[in-house]
Order: sequence, then structure tokens, then C-alpha cells
Amino acid sequence: MEKRLIKKEALTGIIGKIAADTTVCAPVKVEDNVLFKVLEKGDEPLVTFANSKNAPKNFFFPRSEVMLRYTRTTKGMEFSGGEKEVGEAVLFGVRPCDTRSFVLLDMLFDQEKYKDPYYIDKRQKTTIVSLACAHPPYAACFCTSVDGHPVSSAGADVLLVDLGDQYLAEFVTAKGEKLLKYFGDAKADTAADEKKEAIAAQAEQEIKSHIPAKAIKPILDVNFEHPFWNTIYQKCLACGTCTFLCPTCHCFDINDEMKDGDGRRLRNWDSCMFPMFTKETSGHNPRTSQKERWRQRAMHKFKYYVDNFNAIACVGCGRCVKYCPVNTDIRKIVADISKL
Amino acid sequence: MENIDKKLREEAKRLLEEKKVGVLVGYETGTLPLTATPCFITNPEDAEKLVWNAFCTQNLAKFVHDLISQHRESQKRVKPEDRKKKIVGVVARGCTTRSIVLHLQERQYGRDEVVIIGVPCTGYVDGKRLSVLAGGDDIREGSLEGDQLLVKTTAGEKRIPLQDALAGNCLTCRFNNPVLSDLMIGAQAPPMKPEQEYTEIEAFENLPTAERWAYFTKEMNKCIRCYACRQACPSCYCNTCFVEQSQPQWVGLGEDATDTQVFQLMRLFHMVGRCVDCGSCVSVCPMGVDLRKFLKKIDKDVFELFENRAGSSLEDTPPLSIFKEHDKEDFIFNP
Repeated sequence: MEKRLIKKEALTGIIGKIAADTTVCAPVKVEDNVLFKVLEKGDEPLVTFANSKNAPKNFFFPRSEVMLRYTRTTKGMEFSGGEKEVGEAVLFGVRPCDTRSFVLLDMLFDQEKYKDPYYIDKRQKTTIVSLACAHPPYAACFCTSVDGHPVSSAGADVLLVDLGDQYLAEFVTAKGEKLLKYFGDAKADTAADEKKEAIAAQAEQEIKSHIPAKAIKPILDVNFEHPFWNTIYQKCLACGTCTFLCPTCHCFDINDEMKDGDGRRLRNWDSCMFPMFTKETSGHNPRTSQKERWRQRAMHKFKYYVDNFNAIACVGCGRCVKYCPVNTDIRKIVADISKL
Repeated sequence: MENIDKKLREEAKRLLEEKKVGVLVGYETGTLPLTATPCFITNPEDAEKLVWNAFCTQNLAKFVHDLISQHRESQKRVKPEDRKKKIVGVVARGCTTRSIVLHLQERQYGRDEVVIIGVPCTGYVDGKRLSVLAGGDDIREGSLEGDQLLVKTTAGEKRIPLQDALAGNCLTCRFNNPVLSDLMIGAQAPPMKPEQEYTEIEAFENLPTAERWAYFTKEMNKCIRCYACRQACPSCYCNTCFVEQSQPQWVGLGEDATDTQVFQLMRLFHMVGRCVDCGSCVSVCPMGVDLRKFLKKIDKDVFELFENRAGSSLEDTPPLSIFKEHDKEDFIFNP
């Protein structure tokens, strides 16, 4: 694996150079929010930030996406492709929890049985440069409880680690190595590796939230019906904050929009928190209240995904914990389930 | 505040023990520093969890409406002679009581279905504003000492005057004491600054149309259609929101700016004479959309046209439900 050392102040310049050649998506301060967005002229990518409010999954799986377009003609319907061809891109500054979300989303969107061309196309053309958490940013961070690590390269093509006075850049994949030319030629020595190991160990120590996420699967297996589910949903507003900011939530709904014979088929994010979730054409909804919807959220993350892909569909980024308007804390829910 | 908590818990416990209420909606301490969260208490012993402080944000009238309508729905399957009423107790500040008044005016439930525990309010902390004041760093620990918030972030310790962190709607609140209650806890709260209620709006009104439109589109572009604003709002209680109707489909569900604007505009106009300025929609918005600017403008218009402040008195009739001979109508003929 190729490794480089770069001066700290050089990083912003490197992003600028990459952005001159290709589309770069990076965290940017927009008013009071840090958001992942495509860099435009005048945008200053952040290199010191906690984490973005929106998850970088948006880039591969946007909130709304055109799947196909159609026109009604005298000869019948004419169909054309969806979004215009996407080009190569670099996702810069993705935190290790969020890079891990790509590993989890790949299991679903790019599996043997089903291939999602919309997701896969963007995913394949995108290089991910991850920025390790030398100091995990939030008290709500719990990546180590769900198989993650603040200095992990899982899902990344390039991993940057802040060594204090400089960055260590590890080029994890062949795709990542294509960016080598931007990073100069100061090769990393074993001292840098040792420093990285020390930082990783320290970062792991700094994670203060630990939840028994892996222990609850057998409990969920046998407790679909349990009075516990009556206790967690009452204060839930049924808004989509948790699912829309979540890096792993991926439920969607397909919907047609048509005007004067011209139409388009859209894939939009859905949310298990919405009352419309899984409502059928007949008007019947198998999940009749927020109780069933909350059970679905917990089950999907900690049981069904484990059943299907042998992985928990949560990366411990802490967004839902931090931004839930009524402080419904998944950490507490998992802890409570473990005691059932 | 400790005295208020003690009294609140005693009264809540008594109401539950005497079966005056079936469930009591209040606030308990949250899992993150400097937060409180809605809680639902049915067991008298659990009344010990209740708190009332500057971190109690949500307007709980939303839950009163939810609980009573869910209960009524479940009673449909019960023989009429066996149907029971569900009485909901609620910890209510000024704006919460205004929402309850509004619900009562709009015949959503009966006065005998709700027991209002009134509490004085000196404003709540706006979490997003606090986060900015704390330098954007994660708040690890925090406490309120007198009128200062002591905040410990990843970058160090900071003292923030409570006043600076209060929500915008609280600073100029006219009704920070309950307008309706069955029992009151604590002394009347001192007035806020209602005389400055419309200062910000007047400045906004004086901007050229293009600038106001630019501000509106900029704010709406932040919206991710999570519907947290609608869900948190006690006045947003339609069984099915027009956004979710599909026959016909009134508004697209994609990311088109116009669709988002239509959703927000419809919600805003649905708030005419119905917004109590509780700030819940603003506090829950994950993206920080300035909804209040537009809601407060509507509130100002309603006051100027009909001399009505939503939910301020049970004797009032909602302005759009009544015609008065002297109602202004020049805005219809000569806008």
C-alpha cells in the first residue's frame, strides 16, 4: 500500500487541485450547518470539522432521482433514460463511520441477486477520501459498538490521518492510488505508522458511548410482540429527521409525475417514521401506528439486516441521537432491548 | 426551579392517584446535556421524573390532540354505552395553553377532556442557537447556574448568558403565562418584550420584493421535506396532509424547489389565525429553516386585519371562522 506524508496546510490546496480536474464533494459550512455538497466556485472545503449534518450517502442515493422519462406520442409511449450521465467524482473528507455506510449500502444495492444501476454507476465512478477521527467529534459517537472504528479505512479508497503536524495518506485501493499524483512524493516511514497506531488507540479510548448492539439480535428474534414496543414511540413526532440524516437508511418510494403527456418516474426517499410508510393502494397499512413503525426501524437495523447480510445497519455516527427533535435516543433503546 | 419541580411532581402524582387524568404529558430530562424531552406518565410513582426548566422546548398540545384523537378512534369499536373518555393532563406554558384554546375553539376535544397544569415560562433554550454560541463544538456537559449556561465542549469551557441562547419567539413573547389552566404552579413569570414582537418583521416588510423573495427561496432550499415542522405543530392536525394525498396529487414529492415551496406555502397559509408562535417548528427543523419569519408576518397581518391573536382567549372566535361587518376587505379587491 502506498503511503504519503503531506504538510497540514497543503491539504486544502490538494482538494483545490483535484476539484480543478474533477467533481469534488466535500463538507462545507453553509450558514450554521456543515453540509456535504459538490464544491462550486468560492466554496471552501473544511478540513477541521466534527461531521456533516447530512450523510454523504446522498451522493450515491439522492433524496430524489429520476429513473426514467416518458412521452406519450401517437405511436405509443417513448421512453428515455433518467438522470444525465454522471462523471467521475471524489468524495472528500468522509468520516470513517460514513465510509462504512457505503460498505453496508453496497450489500443491498450491489448484491448478487439485485443490482441497482443508479447507485452502482455513481459508486463505481467515485473515489472516497476519508478523514479519520483522531478525536471522535461527538459524545453520541458509538462506531466501535457496531464494528466501526474512528481510524478505520473500511469503505475508503484513501484514508487521511491527522498526525498532529502532518497528514498520513494511505492509498487503500487501486482507485485511491489514481489520486497519488496530487499528494506529492514524501513517502511515509514506519514512524508515521507507529504514530497512526497510537492515534487510533487513543481515538478508540475517546469513544465514550458503548451500546450492546450486537447482543440484541437474538432478543429481537423472539420479541416481535413485546410490551416494550409500547414504551418507545409515544413522543416520536413521526418526522423523517433520523432517517433522512442517517447514513444507512435506504428505504425509497417510486412515484410518477406526469404533465400533458410528458412524465418522469422518480425514486424518492421514504421513511419508516412516516405514517404513509408501507401504506397500500387499498388504503390498508400493515403498520397501523408509530409503534409498528418504530419496531420496524429497530428491527431493520439490528435484526433484518443481520439476517440478510450479517451486518448491523447502523454505523454509530450519532446523527439520529443528536438531531432527533424529541431526543429519542437509539443508544437507550438498544440498551433497553438488551435487558428484555 | 427546584420548588417548581417539587410542586409539579406532587400535583401530577395527585392527579394520577385520584384518577383525575388517565395520562399526564410533561417533560423529563433528556439523554443529551442541556435537554429535556416529552414524557407520558400513567403510573403515579413516575411523576418523580417530571421537570420544568429552560430546556423544555416542545409544545405539548400536539400530544394532547394526538392522544385524544387516537383514543376516540379506538373507541369506535366499543359499544356507545361502554365508551369512556380519556382525560389527558398536560404541563402547559403560555403557548401550549394557546394551542389548547385553539383546539377547543376548533372543537377538537372538550374542555373536560384536558387538565391543564399551568407553568410560568421565561423562555426556552434554542438548541441550534446554543450550538452556535458554543462554537459549533459538541456539548459534552452543561448546567444552568443562575442566568448563565455553563457549557463544556470539546474545545473547553464556556459561560453563555441564558438570555443569549433563548429562542427568538420567547424573547418577544406576549403570553409567557398560561391563558387557561386548571391549576397553576409557581408564581407568574415576569413579562418578556412583546413591544418588540414585530420589529424583525417590520424590517423584513420594508425590504424590496425581490429581496424578500430571494430570502424565501434561500430558506426553502434548505428544506429536506422531513416534515418535522408539520409533525411538531399542534395546529397541523389534518388527518391526511395535502402533501400525502395522491388522488389528485397536489404536490410533487421530489426535490424540485417549487414543490418544496408549495408545501411550505400551503402550511404557512394554513396557519392564518392559528399560529401561536410556540417556535416548535423552528426548534425541530434539522436544517435551520427560518419558518418564523413568514409565520410571524402572517400573525402580524391577522392582528392588523382582525385584531386577533391566535388562541389568546377562549371567548374569541377564530378570525377565519367568522364574518364581521367591519372586516377589512381591501386586501381582496385592492391587494
